[in-house]
Amino acid sequence: MIENWFLILGFSAALLAVGLYALLTMRNVIKLFIGFEVISKGVSLALVGTGFARSHVLLAQSLVITFIVVEVSIVATALALIINIVRKTNSLDVRKLTKLRG
Amino acid sequence: MIGQILLLSGLLLFSILAVLAKDLIKSAISLALASLILGIIFFLMGAPYAGVFEISVVAGLITVLFMLTIALTKAGGDVRESKISTLVFPVFFILVGLIDIFVMKGLLPKLQILQSGAETGTFAEVLWKQRTFDLVGQLAVILAGVFAVLALFRKKDNHD
Amino acid sequence: MIFLYIGLPLLVAAILPLVGKISKRFLPDLLANGVFLTLFVLALTSGRRLIGSGPVLQHFRWMGEDTGIALAVDGLSLFMLMAIALITLCVGLYSINYMEHYGSKSVYYALLLMMMTGMNGLVLAADLFQVYLFLEVAAVASYALVAYGLEYEELEASFKYLMLSVVASAAILIAIAIIFGMTGGVGFAAVAEGLRALDSRAAVGFCSALFLFGFGLKAALVPFHAWLPDAHPSAPAPISAILSGLLIKVSGVYALTRIFFNVFGLTPALSEVLMWTGMVSIVVAAFLAVGQPDMKRMLAYSSISQVGYIVLGIGLGTPLGIAGGLFHLFNHAVAKGLLFLNSGAVQQATGTRELDQMGGLAKRMPLTAGTSLVGALSITGVPPLAGFWSKLLIIIALVQARQGTLAVLAVLASVVTLWYYLILQRKAFFGKLEERWKNVKEAPFWMSLATVILALISIGVGIFFAATIRSWIQPASDALSQGVQAALSIGGF
Repeated sequence: MIENWFLILGFSAALLAVGLYALLTMRNVIKLFIGFEVISKGVSLALVGTGFARSHVLLAQSLVITFIVVEVSIVATALALIINIVRKTNSLDVRKLTKLRG
Repeated sequence: MIGQILLLSGLLLFSILAVLAKDLIKSAISLALASLILGIIFFLMGAPYAGVFEISVVAGLITVLFMLTIALTKAGGDVRESKISTLVFPVFFILVGLIDIFVMKGLLPKLQILQSGAETGTFAEVLWKQRTFDLVGQLAVILAGVFAVLALFRKKDNHD
Repeated sequence: MIFLYIGLPLLVAAILPLVGKISKRFLPDLLANGVFLTLFVLALTSGRRLIGSGPVLQHFRWMGEDTGIALAVDGLSLFMLMAIALITLCVGLYSINYMEHYGSKSVYYALLLMMMTGMNGLVLAADLFQVYLFLEVAAVASYALVAYGLEYEELEASFKYLMLSVVASAAILIAIAIIFGMTGGVGFAAVAEGLRALDSRAAVGFCSALFLFGFGLKAALVPFHAWLPDAHPSAPAPISAILSGLLIKVSGVYALTRIFFNVFGLTPALSEVLMWTGMVSIVVAAFLAVGQPDMKRMLAYSSISQVGYIVLGIGLGTPLGIAGGLFHLFNHAVAKGLLFLNSGAVQQATGTRELDQMGGLAKRMPLTAGTSLVGALSITGVPPLAGFWSKLLIIIALVQARQGTLAVLAVLASVVTLWYYLILQRKAFFGKLEERWKNVKEAPFWMSLATVILALISIGVGIFFAATIRSWIQPASDALSQGVQAALSIGGF
């Protein structure tokens, strides 16, 4: 079963990397949101995959379901922010969001 | 095993397409397909509830919210992604892929796993009896999200 | 009834929007602050009896039936609950006046109550995943609250904060997945037991790194601090206060230390990492604070710096160090909350946050200036205010543990802290009264009340530091010092 686990974790890590790439390089704020979605898939896969590899699927399922609920809340909030930002700046370009320095 | 690898690869492929696609609608559809595949993977892993949730919520609800946002932000115009980010991606991906495989193969013998008994009970029991506090948390996070949206879309009468 | 800490704010938050339709201001004000006050009094009075004989696991019974919700309380959780209730109460009182013109007060209070639900839930959880879950509850509420004014700056700050936070959350969840894979469980007890039975140092090290990144970002430790100097100043003043005063500590420092001490067990390597991370935060942020023209930005960098002190003290791992760190957590929450609330009063009166444009405000706003001075001196560590004792404890602990370099650096950083706070006080409050500020008025009643309460606490705790340490800090510090034993004794669910 362990080999299965590492295979799944490997794909999960790849998904995370793709999502992170999107967050780092994309200019359209909606693409940033897609990056977050891909990361979430990576995390869900890791959780269920781990449960599957350990025959603890029931616990893993509960965790993933709860995580998906959290994901929806975050998506709703993020999209609300994006819509407001577009109303203010008339642009979806993340490069315009540089008024504040870190 | 082969089937699993195929599905996982499909998931990865559609996710990559969703990120790199130029048209946002194509992006959305690609993401939904990726969610669909993930849901199927969950089913095959013996996690039907997670599969149902993934398909109905992520492939369904979130895609709808996504489309709604795209429609509402048409005013933002088109944002050209830099050509570089699309070109660099394959390099990035291969690099990451190699590191990934290397790490996973290397970890294989090293990680210790505690053997423990099989799970008892049905899913309903686990969710409602063991993870009851999680449900409180779910309620809380839903409320927080609802209030967040209410706050961010409220009509303002006057603001200093 | 420990569940009250989570159930009460949740319930009131749920009905607030409906209540808000009937009464726009009065009832929401009353209900929300009523909840905060109730929980504060509850924490202050009944808590101690409950944990008198060690940590307690309380099962929540609904109508006589066991619901399967079991909450664990020990000295540390009680201490955090008390601090959360206190600061949220003062923020709530302050908001009665300050949030008048932002609109939809009922939704604002609902979000504030949800943030409290999240923080309380996080503190009471005895399960890795639940810590994450309630962290997100508070986080979602905070994203909306930071952007509450719907002005451009706030939206940008909130969006960046959100994007960075989701990466942190992903790191935390991956670590949880790995631990779940290794031990088969996610509860503190199960994981602690499982990790002890395995020889898993490399994996635990990797997960620790992930946790350090995830929770460290939430705590705004350098180098994961980039979101804070934008988010905290842009948010409305009471939100800045609760974010700097509570959220970064509860979802960052508390979560991190609880997991590292009680579940993983503090190893010398981990201790070194924590201490040096803390020290880097202290020094870098202190120097960045000095040149800031914006009052709230200076306070934001100060928060990053002071959280460094907390992590330094707790990371040391000795009972004295942990006590000093936790004490500083409380003192900073009180003082920084106070300072941010006052910055709001100043911003409301003058319309600006730029220090160079202010001047001599003490003449027109004596209460604000006075309480600001108390807060600033407390954080800097001037006796007999509370902050002096907590910083002293940390430095003594460092010396006792033969960490001379760190002790010296901590003292030097204190001097820098004093420097930029003096700049702040001088530029904003003292000096010549600028012409255009001739007619500003002192802050309204509730705002002043909240800041005066916090200032009095700073002074009171400073004078009665021994009693405070004995009754609140000691039990909390013991809970962490017990290490993995604490998690194992609570037992599984």
